[in-house]
Amino acid sequence: MEKLLQQTCKKVDSAELFNVKSKTIPVNFEVNRLKSIDISESEGKALRVINKGRIGFSSSTGSEGFNLMVEKAAATSEFGSEASFDFPGEIKRGKGEKKNINIYDEKVANKGIEEMIKVGEDIVERLKDFNRKLRCDVTIVKDCNEIEYFNSRGGNFSYSKTAIAYSIMVQQIENQDMLMIYSSIESGKDNLELEELISEIIENLKWGDKIVPIESGKMPVILTPKAALVLILPIISGLNGKMVLKKISPLAVQKNKKLWSDLLTLYSDGTIDFAAGSAPFDDEGIEMKQVPLVEKGEIKNFYYDLQTAGIAEIESTGNGLRASSQSEPAPGISNLVMEEGRVSFSEMIKDIKEGIIINQVLGLGQGNIISGAFSNNVQLGYKIEKGKIVGRVKNVMVAGNAIEELKNIAALGNKAKWIEGKYKFPHIHLKSLSVSAKK
Amino acid sequence: MREILEKILENKKNSADYIEIRTEKKEITTIRFQGKKLEKINCSQQTGGNVRVLVKGGWGFVSFNQFDDLEEKVREAIEVASLIGKEESKLAIISPVVEIIKRELDKDFRQVSLREKKDLMENYNSIIMKSNPLIQSSNVIYTDRFSTTYFANSEGSYIEQEKPFLSTRFTAIAREGDNVQLASESVGTTKGFKIMERISTKAQKAAFRAVNLLKAQPVEGGEYTVILDQTLGGVFIHEAFGHLSEADFLYEDERMSGLMKLGKKFGSPKLNVVDDGSIPDLLGSAKYDDEGVRTRKNYLIKEGILTGRLHSRETAAKMDEEPTGNARALNYRFKPIVRMTNTYIENGDTSFKDLLSGIKKGIYAKDCYGGMTTFEMFTFSAGEGFMIRNGEIAEPVKDVVLSGNLFTTLLNIGGVGNDLKMIETGGGCGKAGQSPLPVSFGSPHLRIKKVVVGGR
Repeated sequence: MEKLLQQTCKKVDSAELFNVKSKTIPVNFEVNRLKSIDISESEGKALRVINKGRIGFSSSTGSEGFNLMVEKAAATSEFGSEASFDFPGEIKRGKGEKKNINIYDEKVANKGIEEMIKVGEDIVERLKDFNRKLRCDVTIVKDCNEIEYFNSRGGNFSYSKTAIAYSIMVQQIENQDMLMIYSSIESGKDNLELEELISEIIENLKWGDKIVPIESGKMPVILTPKAALVLILPIISGLNGKMVLKKISPLAVQKNKKLWSDLLTLYSDGTIDFAAGSAPFDDEGIEMKQVPLVEKGEIKNFYYDLQTAGIAEIESTGNGLRASSQSEPAPGISNLVMEEGRVSFSEMIKDIKEGIIINQVLGLGQGNIISGAFSNNVQLGYKIEKGKIVGRVKNVMVAGNAIEELKNIAALGNKAKWIEGKYKFPHIHLKSLSVSAKK
Repeated sequence: MREILEKILENKKNSADYIEIRTEKKEITTIRFQGKKLEKINCSQQTGGNVRVLVKGGWGFVSFNQFDDLEEKVREAIEVASLIGKEESKLAIISPVVEIIKRELDKDFRQVSLREKKDLMENYNSIIMKSNPLIQSSNVIYTDRFSTTYFANSEGSYIEQEKPFLSTRFTAIAREGDNVQLASESVGTTKGFKIMERISTKAQKAAFRAVNLLKAQPVEGGEYTVILDQTLGGVFIHEAFGHLSEADFLYEDERMSGLMKLGKKFGSPKLNVVDDGSIPDLLGSAKYDDEGVRTRKNYLIKEGILTGRLHSRETAAKMDEEPTGNARALNYRFKPIVRMTNTYIENGDTSFKDLLSGIKKGIYAKDCYGGMTTFEMFTFSAGEGFMIRNGEIAEPVKDVVLSGNLFTTLLNIGGVGNDLKMIETGGGCGKAGQSPLPVSFGSPHLRIKKVVVGGR
């Protein structure tokens, strides 16, 4: 790789090369039985150059065609954005920060396909034991990645990373009603707890058995950790340094102001062992760290990559992430953690006279999220009456503005859960939210 | 390429019930302006391939972009497929095809210089930025992609297809104090660069709509009679109904297939729904799908009655129906699954004016931010909305999200317009992690009663 870089620098002023090699094996169960096994191997290279002060970029798969890639990168640099940064000459983790971040587990890397099939069969069997009529779709997937980075100023790093995930979707169909529940767990380490996942699904099947009517109006709601993204996605997008810089984000002018409930504390943290977004460095060689975004309802930081931070004349927060091996870095969230509150889920339910629990929604991230607005169909939700769950609601929508609604947090749960391996959220109890129901 | 693929297939033919190898090479250019600045300009090349094998009813799939040992990949795929297979393999019978399909373009974008593409987008971007002082920012994303796929299977088919794709998406972001609104317009095509040179009105429209949204009030939640424009009507039929027609959801699931039983009444006799991958050069079109099956026009609903569904070779065989040419893969990393192509509602005979008349209080919903469905429940967001009062289009409203149960909503389509338009945008369809797959959709204006609209 270093040789390739030297070659590149004959044509441009400086360059960085990012290389990802990955192998992903999903074992898929459909309609209660093993359906397919895939082996997906891929390699990708991304070349970013700075030439006469401008950025150029090109990417390619495989080992062939490197010269063409250099040529294209040089060509794009002619029109590229002005670079507001230099590639980091020295890449290492600092003193104050956590030294070693564990993201690789030999046991995941060596896990056999037969073993993965066994896990899937177990899950299907356990759920069928609960109800023979269920349709279960299950995916057991393992993922191994090797990342390498070099730049022409001498900076370089490399690491390997593993991940394993179990995803379950169950459906129960009764006439024209379909009850659909999904859940998944993911970790970099071979330590996934199947029990919790299965009991969560069974609990939801029990709650969802009966459909109950509901009337439109404003009412208290509880968003489960799985549904919390309804409120948090607009915030993630509003705290993005690029959105702030372009003055698109309504949060741009809110830094260091008390905006939300005291209860709300959010941080981005790429140093958590075995979380999906963790790594020693971001995808352009800046060390990952814990970045406080919101502290007790006050915005403390926005998140940045090198280029955006350079324009804003501050330092990168180590959030320069690439969507794939074929992409340029952009500000992104590694892992996002919301601090827990003190109230248990069952206490929250007890506190509500009439309201709903939102567990799964349709249309996440759809619509004008940068404005904070959301409007979602409650694909799986329950009605609370007099402190008890009485059944499942259907044909219900919730809507609001996340920036506004987060001012009305009644309580946060005392047991945060990992979602998609990279978000850790507690239950969120809002005092009131608009609910529209079909008559 | 052909000799290599055919030699391997010949060697391995007897170790599986079915083997296919699909390889692909493509070149992609992306240009993106954000605000006043050129944000991104990229060129990339990708090559890759996959092997898919069927052994006793079990599928093994290996994808790669290092071609060094193709025969080994076939062996690996057979090995994993053998872990699954416990029954008889079933695939609908088709006759093998050998064909090489080239595309003629109206201005080949591979011959257009990077500078010319950049200048064109820069011009569109400044149209948006200069259109109104309330425009805060913009997003103009141009992509072109030329891919060639090479398909060979153990039954003797060999198909090469060229698949060009271009898209431009304009987003205008307007801001007044804390009120931030955005509006998008998008154009996609397979036909060539010429089309991209003639879309300045779309840039203007995006800016105009974003500014207008600043004045719109959030819609009041509730149940309404709704009129959908051609885009939303198309998104609705694609999202809410089309996905349920995909036989891979049905064929092994008795309860689902019971719900989607052919012959069942789905709507009024005015309702006709079609999926057709054989219309020349639309975004969802191809002569052959990714299993080498010829595409064709498939009626899904005829005069309100469910008459057909979309198949791969496997689902067709298992449901004892004909293959429809709907097995599509996003790219070489994925296996073909049942997908839509170009899906639309055929024209009815009611004029737009007549659709409006008689609605006391309703919503006219236009354009689309996105849509999603899980089986019978759907939701989609309008890009632009207006109240309808006493049969007339009245004040603008924003954040209009429509939702409902597919079966009741289809039955509630009371009026079908006479102004069908096929919509080709740069977006696409997502399923099982394969997104965005190019598709087109369309509809005449539709009047639907009792639709739930979310609101504050």
